[in-house]
Formats: sequence, C-alpha cells, structure tokens
Amino acid sequence: MDLIYSLIAVIGTLVVSFIVSLFLPGIERKFIHARIQQRVGPPITSPGIMAPIKFFFKQTITPESPMPRLYNALPLISLIIIVILLLFLIPEMYFLGALASIIAIVGLLKVEEIMYMFMGSLSKSVLSVRMPFPDLAKGAAHPETPRSFFEELSSLRAFRLIAFGSFPLYIALFVSVAMAGSIYLSDIIAYQQTHGPILFTVAGAMGAIVFFIGYMILLNEYPFSILKGKPDVVEGPYLEYAAKYRAYVYMTRGFLMFTLATLFATLFLGIAPNILNPSFIITLIVALIFPMLMAVMSAFSPIFTYKQFYPTVAGVSIIGVLAIVAAFL
Amino acid sequence: MDDKEENRTVIEAEVPMGTVHPGALEPYRLRLFVEDEIVRDAEMTVGVNHRGVERIMEGLPVEKANSLTEKICGICSNIHIWNSCRVAEIALGIEIPERAIYIRIIMGELERLHSHLLYLAHGCEVLGHETFSMRLFYIRETVMDLLGMIGGNRVQYGSAVLGGVRPRCELDQTRIQKLTEGMDLIEEKLTAFADRFVSDPMVMSRITGVGVTSAEDALRLACSGPTLRATGVKSDLRTEMFEYDPFEFDVITHEDGDVKSQLLMRVFENFEAIKIIRQAIRDLPEGPITNRSWEMKDVPITKSYVEAPRGTLYHSYALEDGRVRNCVIRTPSMANIGAMQYSAIGHHITDAQLCIVQCDPCFTCTDRAIQIIKI
Amino acid sequence: MSLKSYSRGRAVHVMLVYTGGCNGCDIEIVNCILSPKFDAEQYKVFLTWNPREADVLVVTGPVTKHNEQPLREIYKAIPEPKAVVAAGACALMGGVYKNCYGDIPSEEIAGPVDKIIPVDAKVPGCAVRPQDIVAGLVSALPLLLNAD
Repeated sequence: MDLIYSLIAVIGTLVVSFIVSLFLPGIERKFIHARIQQRVGPPITSPGIMAPIKFFFKQTITPESPMPRLYNALPLISLIIIVILLLFLIPEMYFLGALASIIAIVGLLKVEEIMYMFMGSLSKSVLSVRMPFPDLAKGAAHPETPRSFFEELSSLRAFRLIAFGSFPLYIALFVSVAMAGSIYLSDIIAYQQTHGPILFTVAGAMGAIVFFIGYMILLNEYPFSILKGKPDVVEGPYLEYAAKYRAYVYMTRGFLMFTLATLFATLFLGIAPNILNPSFIITLIVALIFPMLMAVMSAFSPIFTYKQFYPTVAGVSIIGVLAIVAAFL
Repeated sequence: MDDKEENRTVIEAEVPMGTVHPGALEPYRLRLFVEDEIVRDAEMTVGVNHRGVERIMEGLPVEKANSLTEKICGICSNIHIWNSCRVAEIALGIEIPERAIYIRIIMGELERLHSHLLYLAHGCEVLGHETFSMRLFYIRETVMDLLGMIGGNRVQYGSAVLGGVRPRCELDQTRIQKLTEGMDLIEEKLTAFADRFVSDPMVMSRITGVGVTSAEDALRLACSGPTLRATGVKSDLRTEMFEYDPFEFDVITHEDGDVKSQLLMRVFENFEAIKIIRQAIRDLPEGPITNRSWEMKDVPITKSYVEAPRGTLYHSYALEDGRVRNCVIRTPSMANIGAMQYSAIGHHITDAQLCIVQCDPCFTCTDRAIQIIKI
Repeated sequence: MSLKSYSRGRAVHVMLVYTGGCNGCDIEIVNCILSPKFDAEQYKVFLTWNPREADVLVVTGPVTKHNEQPLREIYKAIPEPKAVVAAGACALMGGVYKNCYGDIPSEEIAGPVDKIIPVDAKVPGCAVRPQDIVAGLVSALPLLLNAD
C-alpha cells in the first residue's frame, strides 16, 4: 500500500508539474509582456503548448552539424536531467540518500549548463558563415582569419556562464545548507518545519534575491540573455533545432522554469513538491510568481554585455556570501 | 584608420553577419574581426541592394523621373522627390508659391519625425529593449496617420511635384486641426518617453560611452547630418536652405558622440521638428499650391543639396528635351558608413551592432553608386 | 479539426527576408508585428529570425543578384510544411525595377520572387499596408493546415 501511495505521489507530481510548466511561457507572454507593452498579446496556450505540438507535426530534417544525432539528442537529455532533478525533490525519493542532496542538484544543474556548450559547438547554422555571399573577394580585409559561426560564440559564452555566470544560483542554494547545517534535502525540510521557513530570516531573504537573479541567468532571460541575444547571436545554441527537437527545447525551458521554482519552494519555504500534500498549492503559486517576476524584469531591461554582466554577477554573489555569513551568525 | 593600426595585430576570429540578421534588418554583410569578443576591425559590404535607379531615370521625362526617386527609399521618400524637383526648379528657374513651400516643409518635418522615431525604435530593438521599441512604434503611428491623411499613402506619400505640391496634399481646416492635435499628442508622449528613457539606469549603462566618434574623426570620415551633429559639430543644411528662412529653430548638437548623445539628439530634433511644423501651420500663407506656368529648356548638370532626416542628400541631373540625363544621387548613409565601421572598433560584439545602428543606416538608399569617389 | 491543423493554426512563426526593396514594405511589416496598434501576436503570429523555426517566409523586394542565393538557402532551411508570402509590388512583379535595362537581361535584378522560390500568397501594394500583410498571412494558412 505504501509503495502504491509513493508511486502515485511521484508520478502525479511529475505529470502535474509538466502540465503547469507548459502554461508558463504563455502566461509570461500574454499577461506580463503584452500588458506592459499595451497590446493584446497571444492566447495563453499558443507559446507554450500549441507551438511544441505544431513542431511535432513538422518534417524532421537533419541539422547542419558535424554530429547531427548527438546534436538532436541533447535537448532530450537535458529534459531528462530536469525530470530527474524534479524527481529528487519529491519527498518519496529521499531514501536515495546522497542523490537527494544539494550536491546532486548542483551537479545536475551544471550538466544542464554544459548542454548549452555542446549545443553551441555542434550547430552550424545558415545565418553566418554558411550564408552564400562573395565576401572573400579580392580586396577583402583579413582574408586568412579563421571564420566562426554565431554558435561558437554562444558556446564560448556558455563556458563563461559555467565559469562564473551561475555563481549566484549555487551560492543561494548553500544559504539554506548553512542554516540547516546539512546538505540533505530531508534535513533542510525538517529544519524548516521546526524553525519556520528560511525565507523569513535575514539570510533567507538575501538568499532569495540571489536565487532569483541566478534563476534568470540560468534561464537566459533578458537582460542576462548573453547566449541568445537578438542583436548578435540570434538564437545561439538552438539555431539548428527543427521539428520535434525544437519542441523538446520549448518544453525543456518551461519545465526548467517550474523545477527551479520548486527548488526554491523546497529550500526556502520548506515545502517539498508532493501532489498528495495540500501545501503543493504553494509550490504552484511560487512556480507562477517566479516567471511573472522574471517577465516584468525582462520587459524593462536591455541585453547586458559583459560590462554590465560581470558587476551584476559579482555584486549579487557578494550578497550571497553575506547571506551565508549571516546564516552562521 | 591609422591610429588604430596597433590593434589590428591580434585578430583571433571573424564573425560574419548577414545578409539576413535580426539586428540589421536590411540586407548587408558585416564581418567583425574579434579578439575575445572585442571587435578589432570591421568590414561592411554594401551593394547587396543595388538596383540601378539612376539607369531607369536616364532618358525619362523629368516628371516621371521625379516620381521614381521616391522608390529609392521607403523611409525618407518625400525628401528624395522634393530634392529631385528642386534640381529642376533651380535649373529652370521655376518660382514656387509660398503655400507650396510651407506644405513641403510640413511634409519634410513630419518625415523627419517618423524617421527619427523609427531610428529610436530600431535602436531600442538592438539594445534588446522590446518594450521601449514598441512604445516608440506606437508614438510613430500618430505620425504615420498624419502622413497618410495628407499624402494618401502611409509610406510613399511624396507630395512635391514640379512647381509646387500635389492637389491631394492641400491643407484645409480639418487637416490643420488634425495636425495641431497630432503635434500636441506626439510632444506629450515623446516627453514622457524621453523622461522614462534617460532615467533608466540599465539602458543608460548600455549606451553611455559606447561607440564614441570624436568631432575630428567625424569630420575626417566625412559624416553628415545628425551623426555629425551628435559629435558636437554645428552643421545643418536647413540653415542654408532658402525654404527654411522664415522659420525659427535651433540646431541641436551634443558633445559626446556616443550612442547616448546620438539617441538623445534625435529626441531633441523631434521637438525642433514639432516646433517648425507648428510655425508652418500658424503662418500658412493663402494662395495657389502649384505654379504651372514654366517652360522646359535644355540645362546643364544642376546640383541640389538638402538636409534629409539622415544627413545631406544630393541630387543632380541635366535636362535634354525635357528628359533627365546624367543623374547622380548621393544618399546620407553613404557618408556615414565610415563612422559605422570606426565606432564599432574596440567594443563588445553585442555593442557593435548598436554602433552601426547609431549612425542611422539605410543601405537600401545607399546602394546607388557602383564607384565611390573620394571627396 | 484535427490536433495537427488546430496546433498549426494556433502558432504561426513568421520569418522575414528583405531582398533589396526600398525599406518601405520592410518597415511596414516590422510595424505590423512590433507596433502595439497592429500587434500580429494577437492573431497567433510570432516573429522569428531562425529559418529552422519558421513556418511562413515573408519576402519583400525585387531580389537583387546578391540576395538570390541566400534566399534559396533560407527557403531550403525551413522544414515542411512551409508557405511563402511575397509582399509588395517589387516582390510580386519586380516593381519599377523590372525593366531596368529594357530588353537586355538585367544584371542587378534576379526576381521577382516566384522566379526563385514558389510563392503561395501575394500581397500587393507599394508599400504594403500592415492590415494587408495579416490578410496575406491568413490566406496562406489553409496551405499549412491541410499539409501532411
């Protein structure tokens, strides 16, 4: 009986999370962006649900890539990784021990970032070098220079994202570790059940801000959209995805939004995602509030270059470190 | 660019962009030579859009040729047809009625408004600020409606004909009323937008100190129009055109020559344009709008320079049996290409596209001449 | 209505390619999508700049020689089903540039568009009006919806 109960909890949570996550891009576009920009905006189902379904019905083509199969497999891998990440957050899975800890979560998120790098280096889109144009004619400047695709640029930027860009998110994860004194999710939740949510302490509040900035950086939303900014790299790593693989890209993004919000609810509010627990409603609310806040931020900001990106990351990271220090005091 | 010679030694990679690119919109090829994402050299290839309008104009009756110049550019179509008429009017000594001049100026300044608003919207789009871009497009709609009301078409509305303006463009009381209301609306909206724009710290940090062109460099690169004025050089052909004699307006200059001063200068020029339109409406003289009593004769090559929204526009042709010969057109963006390449150097790739957009490129205009003669 | 055509009608991604027009049509199309007054997104039309994502290709301009190959490449990159909308007089029949050199074959103009890629919907006008562009996109939709 216990086993069936657990199975229902796990599968139900995953399914509900998945369905909710499909609505998030639409909510962002219709209720925030369109409202701020004083227009009607698309129907709520269009960007998140109908677009992926449409892509499933498109003709599958071989992308222009040195390793087309690996390239096409990458969004599916990253979707699976996020599913696993969400799985580890569900209380029924805490028997896995070290896998249901902050260390595993950090590792999985790192893999997620490395995916951007692989995607970038494997994509060879028509928009830059492959565009047929006689620009290496006689008299061209520096004809010997090696030519690089936009995606290689994106790949380099993804490397920087791994190196320093996602610092705030990881620092924010360790605020709750410092408070609870344990890396295990079960201990962190137990700590919050006795001491109240970490969010309502000084360290927790600071950590929440840091987490939010890290969330935006990891999701590559404006203003931190260095991987896929419109003025230079167009869509960056995703340029060559077509048909159902693009559908996976769309779904991955929505699901990542949901999962990170769930992670926040677990670490800072002490509410693990579990469909059979009435407090699951709070997880859903957090999952709605996060994309909405992000959409408000992104509607009012330009793209950052490194000149703004470095100081922002550095400043937010310092707040994060202060939060950890405050957690120990 | 001798003073940047030492930078040319390290070039790691080339990033080609175009001819289809969201930041550029227009088809042109841009090759950026980068070292660690910092642009060390840039090469722009224009000529993608060359269609050869001068060749079509060759041998056409002058009236037809004039209306053809409108198709050179969809953004500043009116100034092309105005300048082309101006060539023939100067050559044949045609006297233009006062009222026609005023209507031409109203159209010209409305066009400047819409061109500058489009420039600002495109600039915000390249900054990555979709909301500001949409707000500017919304303000621009008012201007487009006014242009559509007067000219009958939203884009190719060209009002000037030889000896005056088209009868369609006559301003009656209703239209003047609508113009007045439109100017008030644009001024109000644009003031609100400008206040919001300059108080945004994120936008300001993106555009301050980026793409700097000093006044000496701008003069050396032979820039013209707003691009030159934003570097601090007081140069506006409107002060020398006899049409603008009765009007009072300031020539706006900004000192820094970076993207910020380029953008803000356009905002202030819009207010000047509104001022000129208000004066023109107030003092609009009565009388005919076309002078049909002129005679065609053969004339040698005649030149005319006007201040287009993007800089100095040059048209010249000779007349033979009432037909156009040896037509030459030089558009403002041609003069500013040097500044576009120059200002992009030393900045991040994301800023490079912004540095090009700050010079208000219009390459569909620019692709006129096959041979570029150094002046 | 099957899920296939329902989803296709509910998310239409549009890509723009300018092939050397006078900017008039180009600005009107961007205006149609970016201006809150027209706002094509309320009709489920989304702007994209990636041919792999696009369903509908909107082409303006008379297709100059330098733009001929890029246009073909971009058309090839769009996965089926796809539709092409030619917008503006130049894209439809070459506009004023058609007879650039009289009877001598033109070296500058390779167009009009239907000489190079198959065109499914034609939007007339010089310059096209934003309302007409939305109408043209809608008239190309049945082709997408009924495709396999």
